[in-house]
Amino acid sequence: MIKGYAGRVLEIDLAKKSYSFEPLDEEIARLYIGGKGYGTRLLYDRTEAGIDPLGPLNPLIFATGPLNGSVAPQSNRFAVVCKSPLTGGIGNATCGGNFAYGMKRAGIDIIFISNQSERPIRIEVNGDLGEVVFLDAADLWGKGTYETQEILGKKKAHAVIGPAGENQVLYAGIVSNERIAGRTGVGAVMGSKRLKAISVMGTRKLEMDDPAAFKKYTKEIREMFKAHPVLGSSLKRYGTAGIVNTTNGRGMLPTKNFQRGHFDEAMTISGEYMEDHELVGVKSSCIHCPVTCGRDVEVDGKRVKGPEYETVALLGSNLEIGDLKKVSEWNFLADDLGMDTISLGGTLSFAMELQERGMFDAGVSFGDPEGISQLIRDIGHRHGVGNELADGSKKMSERLGGHDFAMHVKGLELSAYDPRGSFAQGVEYATTNRGGCHVQGASMYLESIGPLTINPQNLKLKADIPVLMQNTACAINSMVLCIFTTYGMFPEAIHNLDPNSLKYRMMSKAIENSGPIMRMAMEMKGKPMLWFEKWLTYITGETFSSGHLQEIGGRIFNLERMYNLREGLTAKDDTLPPRILNESIYEHMKAGHPLGELLPRYYKLRGWNVEGVPNPDTLDRLQVRV
Amino acid sequence: MSIRVELTYDMSKVLGLQHFEIESAATVREVVEQTETRFEGGEEFAKLARLAAIAVNGVLINHRKGMKTRLRDGDRVGFVKASAGG
Repeated sequence: MIKGYAGRVLEIDLAKKSYSFEPLDEEIARLYIGGKGYGTRLLYDRTEAGIDPLGPLNPLIFATGPLNGSVAPQSNRFAVVCKSPLTGGIGNATCGGNFAYGMKRAGIDIIFISNQSERPIRIEVNGDLGEVVFLDAADLWGKGTYETQEILGKKKAHAVIGPAGENQVLYAGIVSNERIAGRTGVGAVMGSKRLKAISVMGTRKLEMDDPAAFKKYTKEIREMFKAHPVLGSSLKRYGTAGIVNTTNGRGMLPTKNFQRGHFDEAMTISGEYMEDHELVGVKSSCIHCPVTCGRDVEVDGKRVKGPEYETVALLGSNLEIGDLKKVSEWNFLADDLGMDTISLGGTLSFAMELQERGMFDAGVSFGDPEGISQLIRDIGHRHGVGNELADGSKKMSERLGGHDFAMHVKGLELSAYDPRGSFAQGVEYATTNRGGCHVQGASMYLESIGPLTINPQNLKLKADIPVLMQNTACAINSMVLCIFTTYGMFPEAIHNLDPNSLKYRMMSKAIENSGPIMRMAMEMKGKPMLWFEKWLTYITGETFSSGHLQEIGGRIFNLERMYNLREGLTAKDDTLPPRILNESIYEHMKAGHPLGELLPRYYKLRGWNVEGVPNPDTLDRLQVRV
Repeated sequence: MSIRVELTYDMSKVLGLQHFEIESAATVREVVEQTETRFEGGEEFAKLARLAAIAVNGVLINHRKGMKTRLRDGDRVGFVKASAGG
């Protein structure tokens, strides 16, 4: 067995209440690493096209990678893979917390859960004994994610759902500690299986190929992270919400259901404001992570997890709410119910606009916090109008109208970076296999908000960046690392450049014109250079360089694409909401995002035909077996 | 003429306000110079301004005409620090 892997896949059948431990497939591990990649391979191979995402034939796959279980910073995340009930295509989400670490300690790389239980159930896994126990969960059914984990105790690591998952809210997530595998409705799939919680325990240690080199290098990188302007400073000091004023200044902060990109009250929902007014503590909810991007705030006299950037944007500015206390309350409520705050915010803002146009009465309005707490509860329990909102903005628009301002891609509500101010991010949203999400590439960091931006509103490099970033993210989500690790790629010297200096502008122009060279450089296979390449190499004993990861990431991305095509998605789904395409929020732009001009080049760079279908030689080159 | 100037959080702490209006400025450079001289804490502001990008109505000027970017009545000039979130 390759080092870094436990070597075991736990197969669980919830209908038969049976289980078995199977050997990890080394070929899949070599081709797809683990995490999202390994999970996608299993989903493709072991399901038929057209299955009901909430039916017994949709498996729920928990997948770790070779970095999980180590002390590498930002390395203890797990991926969940299944068919998405929200999009009908590939569903996946990653999550911090302690569950990935727990799985590896239990000596398990993958948990493959098939079928459904008739009654609420929970599972306990003792990896040391090789034992799985199926327990009645009727007493936990209906309880929030926080109380559920408290009852289950701290001796094991848990992945749980809340009422939103139980009631199959299509954007329900799976929670570990205070973190959530939020996107694409993986919690609804767990709820459809009537599986309340999985708990794992064990004492197995991770075996590495070169533990001494790993230890020495990790120490160096930990120090590098501590000194880094983003990882060791801004994220540590302000959390992810420290970006609010940046996206607002750039006109990219979703406001009033993406009608604007600027919110006058942005400062009062920012990470800096949180630090000065609401913060009651800082902590990391992810094992061995020195970044500590998690914030604690007070809600109803309790110290709870504070809202992240996506949440303050989608539940704040996008609803025209500038009250951080209210956003914190809704964030806690959504986490406890177990649902994705991005899709929740996008669906609420859609409902508010429908109401403003007289097309639906959700009882909530832009700029008014009244009724929102109750509506969130009603969504989680599918009560009243909450039942309508529980299906997300795409399905709502199909029933109620409003297609032009339903802000989703492939059914997944957009993240909080308006792509009209960040063209590469728009291409990424449109083409990402799971839909409108920012952590499947994060192109906006390279082009519009990071320390060295290119012109984010011309066509140069805007199809190239998403390809490279999506491939990188696929590899990172398969190790499984936190995507924030990529923020370390710009050294401190770049952060110290004056953005208005000639040097900065020359560097920016040089990058903007570097497409072919950038691609060649990133696709070169050689020695590992970046920290996550070295970690993978030291742990597994195999060589991973940028070129290797681009190839593996491209393989995973194309397999996801083939899965979506098999499920009936087409090039028509590679689009952006009509509001983003047609409405300008910048005075120099006559229309919105120029996706139509960029998509053909993106397809070409991917090795796809004009219909967005991977060419046979592309699949052969990447060894994507379909 | 009225130009709305929006500050980074650190700048707002130095100058004691989050945003303000400038009645007359032909270019972005004039906005920066006026801000430096108009408020107590202008020197500290200038240090922070050297590490901030500037956007006019959300558009980064370093990809346009830089400090020479001309302003019109009703424009919004925002100081923007590089950042990362998620």
